[in-house]
Amino acid sequence: MTFLAPAAAALALTIPAIVALYFLKIRRPTRIVPALHLWPNQIRDRQANVPWQRLRPSWLLFLQLLAAAVLVAAALQPALPAGAALARHSLVLVDASASMQATDLSPSRLGEARRQVNAVIDQLGPSDRMTIIAVGPTARILASVTGDRDALHRAVNEIKASNGPADLSAALILAAGLVRPGDDARAYLFSDGIVQPLRASFAAGLPFPVEYHRIGVSGENVGLTSLTVRTSAQARAAYLHVQNFGQQARSVSVEWRADSRLLDIRPLTLAAGQAQDLVLPVPADATSVTARLGGGDVFALDDSATAVAKTPRAFRVLLVTPGNVFLEQALRLRADLQIDVVAPAAYRPSAAYAMTVFDRFAPPTLPDGPVLVVDPPAGSALAGGAALGIGRVRAVDAGDQLLANVDLQDVHVARSQDLRASTFGRPLITSLQTPLVLVREEPYRRVLFGFDLHESDLPLRIAFPILTQNLSEWMLPPSVPSHSFHPDEPVTIVPEPGATTVSVIRPDGSRRPIAPGSIATFGDTDIIGAYTVEQVLAGRVQRSWFSVNLFSDSISQLKPPDRLTLPPTRTTSTQATHHGQLEIWPWIALAALGVVAAEWLAFHRGL
Amino acid sequence: MAAALLEPALLRRLEGLALQVRRAVSGQMGGERRSRKRGQSVEFADFRNYTPGDDFRLIDWNAYARLDRFMLRLFVAEEELPLSLFVDLSGSMDWGTPNKAVTARRLAGAIAYVALAALDRVRLTVFADGPTSGGAPYRGRRAAAQLFARLQSFPVGGVTNYQRLVWPIARQRPGLSVVITDGLGDPPIDGALVALQRAQQEGAVLQLLAPQEIVPDWSGDARLKDAETGLEREFTATPLTQGAYVNALAQRTAQIERAAVRRGLRFARLSTDTAIDAMVQGTLRRLGLLG
Repeated sequence: MTFLAPAAAALALTIPAIVALYFLKIRRPTRIVPALHLWPNQIRDRQANVPWQRLRPSWLLFLQLLAAAVLVAAALQPALPAGAALARHSLVLVDASASMQATDLSPSRLGEARRQVNAVIDQLGPSDRMTIIAVGPTARILASVTGDRDALHRAVNEIKASNGPADLSAALILAAGLVRPGDDARAYLFSDGIVQPLRASFAAGLPFPVEYHRIGVSGENVGLTSLTVRTSAQARAAYLHVQNFGQQARSVSVEWRADSRLLDIRPLTLAAGQAQDLVLPVPADATSVTARLGGGDVFALDDSATAVAKTPRAFRVLLVTPGNVFLEQALRLRADLQIDVVAPAAYRPSAAYAMTVFDRFAPPTLPDGPVLVVDPPAGSALAGGAALGIGRVRAVDAGDQLLANVDLQDVHVARSQDLRASTFGRPLITSLQTPLVLVREEPYRRVLFGFDLHESDLPLRIAFPILTQNLSEWMLPPSVPSHSFHPDEPVTIVPEPGATTVSVIRPDGSRRPIAPGSIATFGDTDIIGAYTVEQVLAGRVQRSWFSVNLFSDSISQLKPPDRLTLPPTRTTSTQATHHGQLEIWPWIALAALGVVAAEWLAFHRGL
Repeated sequence: MAAALLEPALLRRLEGLALQVRRAVSGQMGGERRSRKRGQSVEFADFRNYTPGDDFRLIDWNAYARLDRFMLRLFVAEEELPLSLFVDLSGSMDWGTPNKAVTARRLAGAIAYVALAALDRVRLTVFADGPTSGGAPYRGRRAAAQLFARLQSFPVGGVTNYQRLVWPIARQRPGLSVVITDGLGDPPIDGALVALQRAQQEGAVLQLLAPQEIVPDWSGDARLKDAETGLEREFTATPLTQGAYVNALAQRTAQIERAAVRRGLRFARLSTDTAIDAMVQGTLRRLGLLG
């Protein structure tokens, strides 16, 4: 036990003072009574005016000494060592991701985390500081380097679970930014351990150690991890992937709905770890298909899934090339693109095309809208410097979404224009000699390849159609995305040329307006379900849809890991952690109040 | 002298009262009281067979005519009532406002006057740590002044000792006894009450207390001094301790009442702030001691 205010021990002088007062004798007037034996043998010194007398045992004296002792004890502010080791600056990272909504703990994993963090806050010493960071799809600082317990409790209690993943890397970067060199800091991660993989940038370590406090006990969960609608020549069908992530067999029912119409309910029994695919025909007029799991489990977020059933609207794309079968075939893989191929000599600018691809050709002025330029001829505005010999290629940022699933391991380029001096945009794929592929966002999304595809083995690799698909969907997003988005994932919305108003209607019915005229990134995708994009085009309402689903095996598996791989500590100073303190003086003060009340009662009862 | 103890107006009102006993009594002299003896009066009591030597004037000739036997008519004899007054003038009685000893003298005087006015015989005994005879028995209204003077002449003081009353009580002829005391002596009065029963005494125990001792009118710290023994003790009067005292006094009163009732005696607790007239006309009549 430690005392936070040891100077208050001086107040203990009141105890001998009280005893001394009892040594003083009262001057009592004499009263003659008819029968002394009828009067009880009770004596109590209320006031003293004559020294001295023998100290008599008295309940009042005992209670007064006890009250004084308890009050002095409370004034000393004793504190018991608490369980957690606290640094002077505690960085509390609270996982607020989707998996923290699991109810294997009451009321939920996040509720349990809040409770534990509140307990840690109560252990803060008077000179301790705490920072609270909510770890969701984005990391947010809720309380920054403060010792104000009320503010910290408020901040913790306001944390709400998102539907997205936990970006622990962002939170650690944020926390590291709050710690100055030499600070005595320690981070406490209250999480179920279901977080996004850490980025490589932590190899150098963190300026503080991180303690992982595991929240959650069970991984028993059945979830929907995929729902897609595919159109074949004969019919459309929805493909659903259901998986039991738990260690016990589960019986569930799968309810299918097209829009709000009930289509089917199917019972399903899944062994531990078993996955099953279900297929259901989709009515031709359906806009969306929803699958819902019945039976209930500890995690509701993956118990329903929605897919857009509408056929995407077709876009016209102009490919200007002297002949490039690779490029043409890669573009034709997108079902919603109608490709018109013309020779460079026949090229005429036209507003009818949503996107234009120039292969080994560049017009004097590029058309408005998305453009992909491959190996612009020397002398054109986009052309780079003299050709350089290139060897292996690599991604500038392996985590770039435009390179998702693109494996550049076995890709080689023989020659490429020197784009090092190009101001076209940021490099996406590069080499030791020069950047090879540049992309730009403004005023339109555009891509520049510095090399002729025929001078590379890229078109022969599986990476090429994937890269083409990524780039074309980035430049010209399909009216119905080919995949479901994850919660909080930004969705690119490309307004139609001439659209006067554009808005997005969310699954809860709320409407978010979007400025027409340019490509917009819509980020309010925290709710799972079907989103509708409404565009008013010459008085006519045109709708497109996209869906947001959890669809995350890593989140649905729910089982909290016992250990979490965390970045190493880059110790810059001696970690002077101390055990947290649980202040018990309020309880002692309460006891003192009780003793004083008893003393008052005893005084008035004449004890 | 009588006027000094009791006011003439009060005496006049007392003359209309008489002591009441539940059973007949035998006195030494004739009086106005029914006796257990058969004697001469106008009140028929019984018949009995004539035996030689009986006063033939008492033969009921009408009965002889009907029964052909001599029957004697017996009449109730009327005799005086022996009243014994035991008045506590111990140190504890010299206390309170109005003073208990003064009130005890006045009350005893009033009861005695009622008896004297009815030609009853009054024996006065004053006691503290021992009995003190009030002299020869008093009889007749004219003896009242002498009795009052005697009452007032006794000093107040000493320790109450009820045990010392046992022997004087035992010498009493059967009759009416009234004990006026505060009942605070230690040991209690029980022994004296047993003696009264054995001496075939009807009567009453009148506990006389001052209002200040029934409900103490002070609080705080004090050094208590016993009025009789002079013993002292430090004391702090609080609601709690005063409550304990009031309880102890109530228990003592209840103890005396129980003991009195068990011995066939009547009991009343009187406060000195009650007027003598009200005590006599109210409490004592209600008690059946006076009528």
